Amino acid sequence: MKLMTTLIKATAAMALMATAASAANIAVIGGSNDDAFWNKIKKGLDDATPGVVANGGSVNYLRLQNYDNFAPDVVQLIRTAISQKVDGLVIPDWVPEAEDPAIKDALAAGITVILMNAGGADKAHELGAINYVGNEEYPAGVAGGEYFAKHGQKHVLCVNTLPGAANTEARCKGVLDAMTKAGFNSEELPLPTTSFGDPTAVAEAIKATLIKDGTIDGVITISAGDADAAATGIQQGDKVKTVALASFDMNEAGLARIKDGTQSFSIDQQPYLQGYLSVALLASAIDFGTSLPTFPVLTGPGIVDSANIDATLAGVKKGAR
Amino acid sequence: MNRNTSLGGLLRRPEAGACLGLVAVLVFFGIFGGLTFLQPAGMASWMNVAANLGVIAIPVGLLMIAGELDISVGAMVPFGAMTVAVISGHFGLSIWLGIAVTLAFGVMVGLLNGYLVIRTAVPSLIVTLGSLFAVQGVVLGLTVMITKSTSVALKVQGPAKAIFGDFVFSGQMQVMVLWWLLIAAAYVYFVHFSRFGNWIFAMGGDKVSARNAGIPTERMTILLFVFSSTSAAFVGMCQAILYNSAQVAGGQSFIFNAIISVVVGGVLLTGGFGSIIGIFFGTITFAIVNQGIYYTNFDRNWSSLIIGVLLLCAVLMNNTFRKMALSYAPKKGAK
Repeated sequence: MKLMTTLIKATAAMALMATAASAANIAVIGGSNDDAFWNKIKKGLDDATPGVVANGGSVNYLRLQNYDNFAPDVVQLIRTAISQKVDGLVIPDWVPEAEDPAIKDALAAGITVILMNAGGADKAHELGAINYVGNEEYPAGVAGGEYFAKHGQKHVLCVNTLPGAANTEARCKGVLDAMTKAGFNSEELPLPTTSFGDPTAVAEAIKATLIKDGTIDGVITISAGDADAAATGIQQGDKVKTVALASFDMNEAGLARIKDGTQSFSIDQQPYLQGYLSVALLASAIDFGTSLPTFPVLTGPGIVDSANIDATLAGVKKGAR
Repeated sequence: MNRNTSLGGLLRRPEAGACLGLVAVLVFFGIFGGLTFLQPAGMASWMNVAANLGVIAIPVGLLMIAGELDISVGAMVPFGAMTVAVISGHFGLSIWLGIAVTLAFGVMVGLLNGYLVIRTAVPSLIVTLGSLFAVQGVVLGLTVMITKSTSVALKVQGPAKAIFGDFVFSGQMQVMVLWWLLIAAAYVYFVHFSRFGNWIFAMGGDKVSARNAGIPTERMTILLFVFSSTSAAFVGMCQAILYNSAQVAGGQSFIFNAIISVVVGGVLLTGGFGSIIGIFFGTITFAIVNQGIYYTNFDRNWSSLIIGVLLLCAVLMNNTFRKMALSYAPKKGAK
C-alpha cells in the first residue's frame, strides 16, 4: 500500500513536471537582419529549432529592426519575451547597464536565461544565466597575432574602421599584444567615420600607410568587407608579395582569396555555432534538466586558412559560415 | 551671357571660393604630407576617392541647387553593387545583363522618388528618407532570400572589367576617375551652356515663379532624381566589379559626404546658387582632407578633428567669397 502511494505520488509528480516543462518555449533576441553576421546565427538557431519542436516546444526569434535606438529597443524586446511567458531566453548582453535589470526580471519570472554572443562568462555567473555561448574578442585578436608571428610577419597593421567600439578595439589590442609578446612590431590604424562603408576610401588609406612605412608586412582588418578593400589597397601599393592579409570574420570574396593564395587567413567566431548551441543547450536544460560543465562555451576563434578552406566553402554555400 | 574675365570677376564666380579652398588644403597637406602626397600614387589616392564620391555629388548638388535633396543615394550604392553581384555573380549570368538591370533599377527608383515628390506635398528629404529605408529593406530581403547571405562575391573579366572596374594610368587610377571627368564635363554643358541649367537655378530660387514662367518644373525634378539615383547605382555597380564583392550594408557615408562636398563646393543649402565646377572642386577638397591625413605624421586618432576643422575652414572661405559675389555691384558710371 505504502509502495502504491509512493508510486502514485511519483507518477503524479513526473506528470506534473512533464506538463510544466515538456514544452520549452524559447525566445531568442538578436541583431538586425541586414547584419551578415546575425543571419548566420539565425541559420544556427533555425537548424536547432526542429529538435525543440520535436519535444513540443517552440523558438521565437525577436530581432532588432535597426541599431538606432539600441539599448531601449533591446530592453523592450526582453520585456516582450517576459510578457509572452516564455520558458527560456537567449540574450546577447550588449549593454549590461540597460539590459541587466530586465534580464533579472526575466530570471525572477522563472525564465531560464542563457547569454549568447555578448556578455561573457563573468556576466553569466553574476546574473545567474546557465551559460555563455559566444566569442571573446581579445583572445580572437591574440590568435590572429600569434598566427602572424608564427608565419614570419614582423610588423602588422590592424585597420580599425570603427575606432572606439569596445569589440573592435579589443580585437586590435589582442593582435598588438600577441605581436609584442613575440617580440615583433605592430600598430593600429584608426579610420575616421567618413571612410566607413566606402571601400575606395579604406583601400586608399591602407595603400598610403603601406607606401609610407615599407616595413609593414601584415595587415588585418576588423571586418570581412574591409578586407576586400584592403586587398585592393595592398595590390595598388604593389605589396602583394610582401604583405600578408588577414581579417576578422569572413565573406565569400575573402575565402576566394584564401583559396587562391592572396589572403593568409581569417579569424572566425563561428556565429552558426552560437545560434545552434545556445538554443540546443537551453532547450535541453529546460526539457531534460541537463547542465553543461563547460562554462563558458567559446565558439571562436576558429582560424580559416589554406588548410581548411574547402570544408569552410561548403558551409558558406549553405549560409552557415 | 556676359562674362567678366577680370580678376575681380573671376573671384566672384560661384566656384572661386571652392577653388581657393582646394588650394588651401593642397598647400596644407603639401607642407605636412610631403611630396609623396602629390606624386602619382598619392594623387591617385584622393582622386579615386573623389571620383566615386563626385559621380554622386554632382547630381545631388544639382538637386540641392533646384531646392530638393536626395538621401536615398546611400541605399542606391549597395543596391547597385548587390544587383550586379547577384545577377552576374550568384546566378553567373552575363555581366552586361547585370549592368543593364542595375542601371534600369536606378532609373526606376529615381522616377519613383521624383514622382512622389511632385505628386505629394511631402518634402524630398522625407520622401527620399523613406526610399532610403525601403531600398535598404529590398536589398537585404531579396539578397538573403536569393543567396542566403549578405555578402555576394563577383568575378568579372574582359571588357566590362576594363570599362567599369579596373585601374588605368600605370595601374593606380581607378577607371572611375575617367568616368567622373566625362560625366562632369557633360554636366557642365548641361547646366551652364544649355537652357536646362537656367531652369534648374530658377527652380531653386522660386519654384512657383519658375513654373509660371513656363519651365516644366515637374519633368525637371523627376529627371534630376533619376540622375542622382542612377549615378549612385552606377558607383555601387563599379565598386562591386572593382572589389569583386558586394555587401548589403555600407554606402551610407555617401549621403553625408556628398552633401558636404556640395556645400564645400559653394552650393547654398537653400538652393538657387552654385556650379558644377564648384562641386567638382568641393569633392576634391573633401577627398584630399580625408586621404591627406595618411601622408602626414599626425596621430591617426586625431583624423576626424582635422577633417572637421579643415572642412569648416573651406566652407567659411567659400561663404566670404559668396558674400562678395552676391553683394557686388559695379561702381556707378563704370561700364
